[in-house]
Amino acid sequence: MIRTVRNMLSGVVLAATLLACGGATEQAEVRDNTQEVLDYYAAHPDLFQFKTLADLPADLVWERGEGLPDLGSPDAKKGGTQYGSIQDFPRTLRYVGPDSNGAFRTWILDDVTLPLALKHPDTDYDFYPALASEWALDEENGIVYARLDPAARWSDGEAITVDDFMFMFFFNRSEYIVAPWYNNYYNITFSNITKYDDHTLSVTMNTKKPDFAYQALDLRPEPQHFYKELGEDFVERYQWRFVPTTGPYVIRDEDLIPGRSVTLTRLQDWWAKDKKYFANRYNVDRIVLNVIRDANNVFESFKRGDIDQFGLNLAEHWYEKLPNTDPDVANGYIHKSVFYNQRPRPNYGLWMNTSRPMLDDQNVRLGIQYASNWDLVIESFFRGDYSRMHTANDGFGSFSHPTIRARPFDIDKALEHFALAGFTTRGPDGILVNEQGQRLAFTITTGYPTFADILTILREEAAKAGLEFRIEVLDQTAGWQKVQEKQHDIGFVALGVGTEMYARFWDYYHSDNAYDDAFLEDGSVNPDRKIKVQTNNMEVLASYELDQMIDQFVASNDVDEMRELSHRMQEFVYEYASFVPGFVQDFYRIGHWRWVKYPEFFNHKSPSLATELHVHWIDEQLKQETLAARRAGQAFEPQIRVYDQYRMQ
Amino acid sequence: MLRLNPQTIKKLKRFRQIKRGYYSFLILMVMLGLFVVGELLINNRALVVKYEGEWYFPTYSAFHPGTDFGFPYTYETNYRELKQRFAEENSGNWVLLPLVPYSPNENHSTTGIFRPEAPSAANQHYLGTDSTSRDILARLFYGTRTALFFAMAFTLATYVIGIAIGAAMGYFGGLFDLLFQRVIEIWSNVPFLYMVIIIFSVIPAAFSIFTRISILLTVMVLFSWTSMTYYMRTETYKQKVRDYVASARLIGSSNTRIIFKHILPNVLATLVTFMPFTVIAAVTAITALDFLGFGLPPPTPSLGELLKQGTANLRTAPWIVTSAFGTLVVLLTLVTFIGEAIRESFDPKKFTVYK
Repeated sequence: MIRTVRNMLSGVVLAATLLACGGATEQAEVRDNTQEVLDYYAAHPDLFQFKTLADLPADLVWERGEGLPDLGSPDAKKGGTQYGSIQDFPRTLRYVGPDSNGAFRTWILDDVTLPLALKHPDTDYDFYPALASEWALDEENGIVYARLDPAARWSDGEAITVDDFMFMFFFNRSEYIVAPWYNNYYNITFSNITKYDDHTLSVTMNTKKPDFAYQALDLRPEPQHFYKELGEDFVERYQWRFVPTTGPYVIRDEDLIPGRSVTLTRLQDWWAKDKKYFANRYNVDRIVLNVIRDANNVFESFKRGDIDQFGLNLAEHWYEKLPNTDPDVANGYIHKSVFYNQRPRPNYGLWMNTSRPMLDDQNVRLGIQYASNWDLVIESFFRGDYSRMHTANDGFGSFSHPTIRARPFDIDKALEHFALAGFTTRGPDGILVNEQGQRLAFTITTGYPTFADILTILREEAAKAGLEFRIEVLDQTAGWQKVQEKQHDIGFVALGVGTEMYARFWDYYHSDNAYDDAFLEDGSVNPDRKIKVQTNNMEVLASYELDQMIDQFVASNDVDEMRELSHRMQEFVYEYASFVPGFVQDFYRIGHWRWVKYPEFFNHKSPSLATELHVHWIDEQLKQETLAARRAGQAFEPQIRVYDQYRMQ
Repeated sequence: MLRLNPQTIKKLKRFRQIKRGYYSFLILMVMLGLFVVGELLINNRALVVKYEGEWYFPTYSAFHPGTDFGFPYTYETNYRELKQRFAEENSGNWVLLPLVPYSPNENHSTTGIFRPEAPSAANQHYLGTDSTSRDILARLFYGTRTALFFAMAFTLATYVIGIAIGAAMGYFGGLFDLLFQRVIEIWSNVPFLYMVIIIFSVIPAAFSIFTRISILLTVMVLFSWTSMTYYMRTETYKQKVRDYVASARLIGSSNTRIIFKHILPNVLATLVTFMPFTVIAAVTAITALDFLGFGLPPPTPSLGELLKQGTANLRTAPWIVTSAFGTLVVLLTLVTFIGEAIRESFDPKKFTVYK
């Protein structure tokens, strides 16, 4: 009896809750922010302007990105399914806001959606049309005009118009998206967007830098019709909704299997599929990404044929686990390819915290430079495949310093510099000691467990020069955090570097990022300054002289002056000696099954991954043939190919 | 002179009769002996150098720069090169190297490339090298040494604390017992592995290896002494109502004396049987921590680190995982055999009959 009553009661409570929830959802669904957006435009009349086509300057020179080399191969076939892996199931399908900046984002944003125009991967700062069919630059005022392709459609069929670009500013400057970086970027980079008609717009830069066209043409619109419900609950509400895309791949609801896999499907009637620079790309019909957490298991899946391609950048993979004598390689089932590319590379090296005792002494730093045996690491650990990095700003063409070379491993020179710093006698374990009894020992902190071996090699070699490296290997987040908090002696980290025209100096070297109020008015050191944390000035480098150069560099819009300043700053940093340049990998290597096809020339100049431009295709017929041949023990010609057309000597 | 009571002597005799356990014990003792003088067996420093009429014994002394022996460099002498040079010069100087002339941390490659090399007696890498060309035998030896000594210290510490607190709880009983039991229940529910990971992640790397091991030991002991108290408490409860305790109390013995002189010897049998398993638990725990990357900082040799390398190179360098795994199996089997033998020989049923 009592139980019946209780059950009835709970039934009533449940029904009431359901009703309440239903009411809430219904209420939320009628939300429409059209008016809010219009009010926002009206409240920011300088940023958002509405004009007519008659207001367009008459003397504009329109560019269409014609005459650039084609992308991809005319032999490419559409169709097939590509199997790959991801380390973690994506935490969200949003590409902004918390948890969105993960490795999965490349599949829904970076590599697949289209901005106004894209930088051609083979040439320097030439653009080919994407959403814009043509554009014009006002070099003097830093304005970019663009005409949208009238055929451009979101993946849900809606037309892409200038309104989506206007909305992009509203969206990215909004507090709702919980993305301070975007808020800041859209606040400080652009000063105006003007709508002339549904397909004509202009964007004005706040400061006109030499690469301003790149920053403006790289703008990617946001679908206004999709974000009608944008509000305080953006993060939860849009967590698992696939955003309509300008690109060729969509994720259908049924293809999202939580914790297991995500599948991308190609739009058969994608609006840009016949355009000159897209016709031979994005060939695969379905891209299946299975979650495989352990790196060794990914390799084993690849060897079984469950995954089509695998990155073989590590010597261990290229030479040991998949050597050319491996039956699958020798019989031609798996092809191995090395592709030399040209782009700025992550700056792996030792970042010394110059605010630490002993490391504030230039002679100690110079000694450490000569006591770090990167050449041995490159020769023996990377087997001579990688090269030595020379400055933290390599790879920026003429902006990089033409003559600076990293200091070699030299025990005598290291001892000389250590002696100048007061470290003259070796203790009982061979490590140098100064008169106060201090040992010459520093901790190297890293967040790369895979590279811990490198540090043990450096440690053994440094001991020869009387220097002790203690090694601290943390997980990725903790290692990065420690360096960002400036708690490190020496950090072994690298920052990813985008394909920009010139290096960022303010982030790395300006005293603004080292201390709060580093200098007094007259340029002398402020005795009360405090270290500033959470910045990329990992050397805590603060020099009044360097600050002047950086400020001048940031303010300048003259290419020659900037180049000259860039060289001078790199010389300064070299003399300061607080960064020991490590290694660069000027290629990528992959192994792929025979049914994965690449163009004759393999890939274009700048990608860092083989699949970045989606120029490959899958030949399903070849797949059946290869698998049958493998079962029957029938061999093909082995294929180990080197593509060195972009190798720098 | 240590005088054992006849009961104990009987038990020890019984232990000797259980051959499997007894020989395991002997093997383990020999191993421990070898570990103590490990630097004489596996080391890149020479045992003896005779140079220009002078004798040098570098193993336990301060480092000798190359200049001591006529090399141009000021860093530690490479004794293998020295041996080769002396052999070529043939001038009466000689070097005696240990059996395995490598230190656990040095990268020694025969090809100039750091990669796992298969076991080879010619290169004196008897178990091969690991992924950065370090001698596996050396790393295994010093890794096992750390693990074993660590386990012994761990066992000793948990026993001292566990016995003291457990006996006190059992002996005093009442409110003290009640309170401490609750404290232990709460304390033992703190997840030990996470605590170790958290604490270890905040220890500065500047601490020496020895300090770090001591901290690890302390933390592990702090979270492991509790299980011992349960057995100790119940045993003490049982013993304290016996007549001999009452007599001891009558003639005015102090509590400490009663606990340690009268009760403890009578409950020792229970405790001793647990000892090998505590050792095993400690070895496994420190290996697991290293395997997960939360143990000792690189390049400290350890079993867990070798196992990790081994599983990552299962197909290409099977000798890494077999060495590490083999060592663990042998070590744990030996200790288990000893444990079984102890339990059997200390089993009271063999000697007394309760009526």
